Amino acid sequence: MTEKALPAESAKTQTYIVFVVAGTSYAVPSHQVQHMEMVERVTPVPNAPRSVEGVVFSRGQVVPVINLRARFGFERTTINQRARLLVIQHGNRTVGLLTDEAREFITIADGSIQPPGDAIGNLSGGYLDGVATLGQRIVLILNIREVVESTPVAAA
Amino acid sequence: MSDRDPQFESSFMDDYFAEADEHLLAIRRCLLMLDAAQGADVPPAVLEELFRSCHSLKGISAMVELREAELLAHHMESGLRAIRQGDVALDGGNLDTLLAGANALEAVIVAKRQGVPVPSEELAIAALGALASSQVAVRRPPADAPDSIGNARGWTVTFVPSPELVARGVKVDTIRARLLEFGKIRSVTPRVQAGGGISFEFDVESGDEASLSALRTDGVSYESLPLPVSPAQADAAAAGGDPSTSPRAWEVASGAPGNFVRVDLTRLDDLMRVAGDLVVTRSRLEDTLRRVERHVPAREFRSLQEHDSLMERQLRDLREGIMRVRLVPVGEVFRRMPFVVRDLARDSGKRVQLEITGQGTEIDKFLIERMMDPILHLVRNAVGHGIETVERRVAAGKPPDGTIRLSASTVGESVIIEIADDGAGIDIAAIAQRAPAKGIRTEEGVLDSRVLLDIICASGFSTRDEADRISGRGVGMDVVRGTVQELGGTLEVATEPGRGTTFTITLPLTLAVIDAIIAHIGDQIFAVPQSAIQEIIEVDPGSLRSLEQNELLTYRGRALPIVRLGRLFHISAAARPRLHAIVVGTGLSAVGLLVDRVAGHREIVVKTIADPLIRVDGVSGATELGDGKLVLILDVAALSRSVRERRRAGERALV
Amino acid sequence: MRTILVVDDSPTIRKMVRAALGSLTDVAFIEASSGLQAIETLAIHPVRMVVLDLNMPDMHGLDVLRFLRSHSRYRNLPVMVLTTRGDDTSRQAVLEAGASSYLTKPFSPSFLVSSVRQLLEPEPNQPAP
Repeated sequence: MTEKALPAESAKTQTYIVFVVAGTSYAVPSHQVQHMEMVERVTPVPNAPRSVEGVVFSRGQVVPVINLRARFGFERTTINQRARLLVIQHGNRTVGLLTDEAREFITIADGSIQPPGDAIGNLSGGYLDGVATLGQRIVLILNIREVVESTPVAAA
Repeated sequence: MSDRDPQFESSFMDDYFAEADEHLLAIRRCLLMLDAAQGADVPPAVLEELFRSCHSLKGISAMVELREAELLAHHMESGLRAIRQGDVALDGGNLDTLLAGANALEAVIVAKRQGVPVPSEELAIAALGALASSQVAVRRPPADAPDSIGNARGWTVTFVPSPELVARGVKVDTIRARLLEFGKIRSVTPRVQAGGGISFEFDVESGDEASLSALRTDGVSYESLPLPVSPAQADAAAAGGDPSTSPRAWEVASGAPGNFVRVDLTRLDDLMRVAGDLVVTRSRLEDTLRRVERHVPAREFRSLQEHDSLMERQLRDLREGIMRVRLVPVGEVFRRMPFVVRDLARDSGKRVQLEITGQGTEIDKFLIERMMDPILHLVRNAVGHGIETVERRVAAGKPPDGTIRLSASTVGESVIIEIADDGAGIDIAAIAQRAPAKGIRTEEGVLDSRVLLDIICASGFSTRDEADRISGRGVGMDVVRGTVQELGGTLEVATEPGRGTTFTITLPLTLAVIDAIIAHIGDQIFAVPQSAIQEIIEVDPGSLRSLEQNELLTYRGRALPIVRLGRLFHISAAARPRLHAIVVGTGLSAVGLLVDRVAGHREIVVKTIADPLIRVDGVSGATELGDGKLVLILDVAALSRSVRERRRAGERALV
Repeated sequence: MRTILVVDDSPTIRKMVRAALGSLTDVAFIEASSGLQAIETLAIHPVRMVVLDLNMPDMHGLDVLRFLRSHSRYRNLPVMVLTTRGDDTSRQAVLEAGASSYLTKPFSPSFLVSSVRQLLEPEPNQPAP
């Protein structure tokens, strides 16, 4: 299903994948997402940081999984059928983001995106690239670099 | 030339880079030989190959519009032409200019490859230009140093090509290669034959008529010539016994076409992956076989098992074969070191000899590329910080020339690379003093090699405060260790004040598949590489004795330190009446890793864990057990090391 | 089917020449990486025209050219010589040695194609006027 954002001054648009974490909708540019898959089980890595759920095997690669609920300060829940792993490419790193659900592809016009204000919901402005208003709906554009790079790294 | 097509040109960049690499390699090799031959006559074959490589590099650089490389190569060519014609001498200064030119060429091409702005190498170009135009009348180099081999005679060898010979794989190049094996070729001339056909006439010098006559079945005829044979000329380098500078080696270096295929590394990666998948599939097959055993008549089952075993062996051969394709000699990295050492030593006024052994040791191509910088860094450090100045060395009763030993060898499933210097050793006291400032705690007066390494490799650590052109020491050591560890290897240091320092890098030879023991801890499964395991013993938890923080088990008359992996990994597990201890290490460094149970052994395909998010002490990789489940591979060395350290800390606390 | 022999010791250049001439129809390519190889190939295969690099390891392109022109069989074989910008071989020397045409690297692919097309037109065995 594709939603088209209301036409704005700039005609430039991008496709995004929308996912949900603890009731809030977030979006990431689709070109950064390698693929999405259902999650069966994640192998925990001992002594890894709290928000690192563990690792999975995805398309022949060992991919670390960041539990976005934990990352954003929410309580963890058990992984169910609806949970989705977004495997994203950041530089030469491949990282998986564990979300509650992810189903939509939408096109958002650049003009519909406002810069993030402070303290939206639970997040500090740093994680967001912007806020998109699509009709009645608010979708937070996630800054992947922030999420991946500022997630605490395992003590080596 | 109007009407260029940038799109056309850019689609050949991969080919350009591959070919440029070969030419750069040849240029470096030749420059090295010229350096070694300094003082002796300039060997024409080497100059020729050098000249050609620069010319070819110029041509292809022009074709892809890499103007900077084209210009540099052109100027290298001019300089070499002047030397070849005897107008200019090949002294140390000119050789330096050529080396600078080669470095500049490489820098330009690397920059283009990485997509960063290409440096303008005006200094190098200016120096080359000055070289080419300087006219110092020099004795002309001998046209072709006659070098006879024992009772060599002259022959005219005629080869007539034909479709039948080509079909058999016999062509003029193959004949030439074979002639080079037992003789020296003075010239090759194509001739028109009476019937209109073509023949090739080789002017050959050889003492081996038997080999010559063996070529008769391949379209070759020959007759002897009264050729004046000059007395063997002593070659200074050859007298020194260095095979790489003997005249024979030069000729072969520029000659025979090899039986090689250029392979894209990603294709090899794909092949490896498929081979890995095959291993997993076969494991699943084995599992299924076990399950169906009772449903199948014994004879049929045995036959199935035999086929399974056979497949396992064949797969192993296939895997090894593919891995061998990826192996390249470590010499590829070592090759550049003489230049580096030479430049640095010169800059710092020190005198350094570089000894290289084990260049033929083979290592995975991927590892080689990643190890280039770390090894370079360690060598630079050895010159910059290890080897003392001539005065200091003489004052200490050491020979004025410092020695750096670079070696590579294969031990079991590892490749060991050592960088050793006979310099002043690491100033442990000075480093220990700096440690607290970097947030590293050390114990009073105790600085074992591991802690020393930790300090040196801490980011931002440097014993000099300004950037040091010679080695930039400290800025790079953390990257060195990080890279080695990322590749699944280890870095160690041993140092003796006044005597020297040795850095040892251990890397896994085979990246892909190993034998492993499967261990259960709580509801989690881990794999332990078989090669690290001494023994597996059953343990009654009641028989463990506690001593301070440690638990011990009486094992073979000694107290074996035990580490409960479940506790270390924070895995909750129900108490069990019997546990298993995996004994690793030997003698005094033996340690028992306590797990719930060991569930058999199997071959596993090792996947490296690269992302910093999941790099933890004690885990060296991951594998898939054939059912989609990902299982972590334990880093036994790291685990036992941390146990020993805790134990030592515990023992010291007692004293 | 007209066979074009591409002679250059650089595999990259050979690849580029073939790609540039890709639009020609009814054409097949043979490659040689040295002067001797080129001569051997000509002795064995029927070749319609040659694209010849100059600076090659075993035999300089001009020597190859002179040799060919000394043989009645190849006197009229169209040979396009590729020189490198900044080479010390003069245009004069190249034409005197018997080149039918010549091109300097870097060459534009469309230029190469049109020159080769021209050279392919007349049959090589026509009696010299």
